[in-house]
Amino acid sequence: MIWHIVRKEIMDNFLSLRFMLSLILIISLFAASSFIFVGSYRQQSQDYWEKTNKNISDLSGSLGRLNDLAFFQQQVFRKPKLLSLCAEGYEKSFPNYVNFDIFTIGLPEVRSSVNFTFPHFSDINWVFIISLILSFVAFVFTFDSISGEKEAGTLRLMLANTIPRYNILLGKYIGAILTLCIPFLIGLLVSLIIVITSNVSGINGLQWLKILSIVILSLLYLSLFVFLGVFISSRASRSANCMVTLLLIWVSLVILIPSMGRTVSDIFYKTPTRVELNRKISEANKQIWDNMERYGKNAGNSTADVNDPMMNLPARARLYNALSNTKNQIIDDHHKKMIAQALTGRNYTCLSPTAIYRRATEALAGVGIGRCADFYQQVKRYQENLRAFIHSKDAEDPKSRHLIFDEDVSRGAWDWHTISKKPVDFNIVPKFQERDLVLGQSLKLAIWDIGLLMLFNLVFFAAAYVSFLRYDVR
Amino acid sequence: MIWKIAKKEFLLNLMTFKFTVGTILCVILVSVFVPVLAKDYQRRLKGYNENITANEAELRKVMVYTNIQPTVYRPPNILYVFSEGVEKRLGTSAKIGNMVVPEISSSSDEINPYMSMFPNMDVSLILRIVFSALALLVAYNVISGEREQGTLKLILSGTISRHQVLIGKYLAGLMILIVPVTIVFILALIFLLSFPMIELTSSNWSGIVLMYLASLIFISAIYNLGLFFSTLMKNSSISLVLGLFAWVIFVAVIPSGSIYLASRISPLESEEKLETQRALAMQEARIKYGKISVPNWGGPKTDARGASGKSYTVLCSSSCLQDRSKAYPLVKSIESSYGDSIWRIELSYIRGLLAQNHLARNIARISPISIYENVMSTFARSDLGSIQDFMDNARAYRNETMEYIRSKSNNFSTYYFTVCSEQDAIFYDQQKEAIKQAKTERERKQAEDVLGQYLNKMKKKLTVLNLDDFPRFSYRPNLTGNFKRAIPDLILLVFINALLFALSFVAFMRYDVRSD
Repeated sequence: MIWHIVRKEIMDNFLSLRFMLSLILIISLFAASSFIFVGSYRQQSQDYWEKTNKNISDLSGSLGRLNDLAFFQQQVFRKPKLLSLCAEGYEKSFPNYVNFDIFTIGLPEVRSSVNFTFPHFSDINWVFIISLILSFVAFVFTFDSISGEKEAGTLRLMLANTIPRYNILLGKYIGAILTLCIPFLIGLLVSLIIVITSNVSGINGLQWLKILSIVILSLLYLSLFVFLGVFISSRASRSANCMVTLLLIWVSLVILIPSMGRTVSDIFYKTPTRVELNRKISEANKQIWDNMERYGKNAGNSTADVNDPMMNLPARARLYNALSNTKNQIIDDHHKKMIAQALTGRNYTCLSPTAIYRRATEALAGVGIGRCADFYQQVKRYQENLRAFIHSKDAEDPKSRHLIFDEDVSRGAWDWHTISKKPVDFNIVPKFQERDLVLGQSLKLAIWDIGLLMLFNLVFFAAAYVSFLRYDVR
Repeated sequence: MIWKIAKKEFLLNLMTFKFTVGTILCVILVSVFVPVLAKDYQRRLKGYNENITANEAELRKVMVYTNIQPTVYRPPNILYVFSEGVEKRLGTSAKIGNMVVPEISSSSDEINPYMSMFPNMDVSLILRIVFSALALLVAYNVISGEREQGTLKLILSGTISRHQVLIGKYLAGLMILIVPVTIVFILALIFLLSFPMIELTSSNWSGIVLMYLASLIFISAIYNLGLFFSTLMKNSSISLVLGLFAWVIFVAVIPSGSIYLASRISPLESEEKLETQRALAMQEARIKYGKISVPNWGGPKTDARGASGKSYTVLCSSSCLQDRSKAYPLVKSIESSYGDSIWRIELSYIRGLLAQNHLARNIARISPISIYENVMSTFARSDLGSIQDFMDNARAYRNETMEYIRSKSNNFSTYYFTVCSEQDAIFYDQQKEAIKQAKTERERKQAEDVLGQYLNKMKKKLTVLNLDDFPRFSYRPNLTGNFKRAIPDLILLVFINALLFALSFVAFMRYDVRSD
């Protein structure tokens, strides 16, 4: 019996104006967004490879000796991701590159090709279409599912038969979800076909799995909205009133609450400005210089002749290492604070299932703020590897004093032989490579959000069930 | 009769659920946003005042003209509470110097780049999203709803003509929507004025009034849209669905889509190219710099630190004095031509940005919500044009200061770069000669001591330049310019109103009032 209802629902929807409208709107959005994505992805990858190759060629070009490698300022960029077709996570206005040598690492900086005169905007990608348009369409399909039948008088007729109420509810739900799936899946297919045929980049197995999990997550998200729609519909006696309520709910859940993050984190959280950061660094430096005798006698002196008794090279190395460690520490704290501020703001917005859904898809697609933080950590790990490599190479050179510290090359390396000046083979130098998370890790990041979405589903299902049981069908 | 219909509609709507909920939502949002934004404004105002004081303090330390390097700051604008525009995205200061020409740039004082994941919150967001939805909700059933209930038949069976009904409905909608808009504006003003540091000038007041009027025109346009769908469809829930589809496209799809599309249609020049051109200009200037054929021009020998972290010369030889006063006019002309060429390079890049922005805005004009956003940011003086206007002012100020320095220092003569007079220089030459001629170590030391004492004496006597007649920067926003910029969009909004009303008029004339 339940399939009868489902079939009737789907047939009903197929012929309606709203179905045609949403079908056209959604498919054209998917198609347009994928066309634009292909173009911009191509551009971004080209830029990325140009910059990365430039970094590598600068590194190999300036690389004669070990000391050059140690003091070379590398600049590594974040890689554009194919999965930003699905979710983009506002990455384009986030910092996208880091400058570092083996001693210090700067804050991630922004150098983007985005026009700074534009307001912040979000790319039109899958998550955008699903979280905004399809959630809205879900409401449009369900607002009259119960109250509409009541108005038409057919609900009474149906219940006069032997069908239990939950069957009707489930039938309505499944009917709405399946109708919703049609524009959604066609849109996805169109989008994937455009991306695959345009030959920008192949989609590998891991990416397919991630896309699949994003699709499942999206269905979970949409089902929540269907339940909510049915719930409100079985609370209202008139379908027009129901749509009014649903619209207000939609505006609050989908638009207002997710945008409140800035306001909320402005109230609760404050990160220091760049000026304050620089002041803090220079104060810390000053303090170290004031107490330089702590690092050994004559740590602050510097003369060309190493054997000068006024000169204490190991102490100077300790002093300089302390300086760069403090700087790194302060910058790291600052970065953590920035990330924490943004995350706090977003956690507050997670009252809304839309924000939860976005967070989960970002985690699955490996984009967004979590990815940026991870990128920074990866660069740091690479920096450590490189330092370890340099230390091990330096240890092989008997001429070096093995005191590697961040004083400029002409002093440290040339006058004092603090670091080996032997040539090094470029092929064995570790190079930076950004790694994607494997599926398990991404899922682990998203697991709480998936749980929350399921909880929302359950709550709205229960609410819809209870209110339909008590619904006055007259 | 029109008034009777309008009054009835008005009273009917005032009591509805949607109206109450919508209004309460707006009140809550305003009371959350406005205090947060006002605090933010206070913080920015404090920063601005500190910067201005620091700038003035630097000017009071200036000993020689070469050290005059003021920075101008854009005062924060309280109206951004209503519409943020690009107020916080673009740079708020401009350095004034020979080598730099002020031009719009991206803001460097964005505290946390990760916060860009959240959109800006301002009062116009409430108006844009909540009120437009509310206007549609009020409008969707004015005709089709009455038909469903069967009352439309009754009304039209009287002597009243159809256009009177439509006009009555329109006026009623306008009256009902004025209420929440007015509440939002008044509430926002009350919150703003309760902050001690915030004062509203007359130009701010006029901006607020204009924004209020623009909001009314906008709300009326959306209401007309709903009215049109209501007269087009027989069924009120279908007219609601149609209206909402249009609304979602206007609210969500077009603002992002237009930017997305524009950045594909007219891509930007890469920043690398800009860097290369800059480097070329720099090289050219270096070559010219090297060609200055004045002996003894090896760059300034400085022995004191002055304002803006720049050092200057207290005492030097007379040949140095002569040569450098010959060289400085040349150097300055090279510097300013370098500054100009850098500016031209940047300008061409920024023109690209602006063209892209322009294109995006033109595409977005399909949506009345985007048009309204443009109007609001223009009246709030937070649009791109206002920032450009500020930069124009800053450029004019730069020319003024450059001219001042040039004329005051008598075309870069000696007191442009040093406090050393000719007599001092002659004394310096004599002592240097004495040091050279000294036969014994003691004589040499003595002569050096004399020179050192003389230098110290001079340093003690130093007085700062009298810069009372130095032009000070004051930014007066060009209000008529803003008004002119807003007019096309405003006309467009009015036109949309008229068009939609005319369409609903036609549709209503042919409307089948029979209920089934």
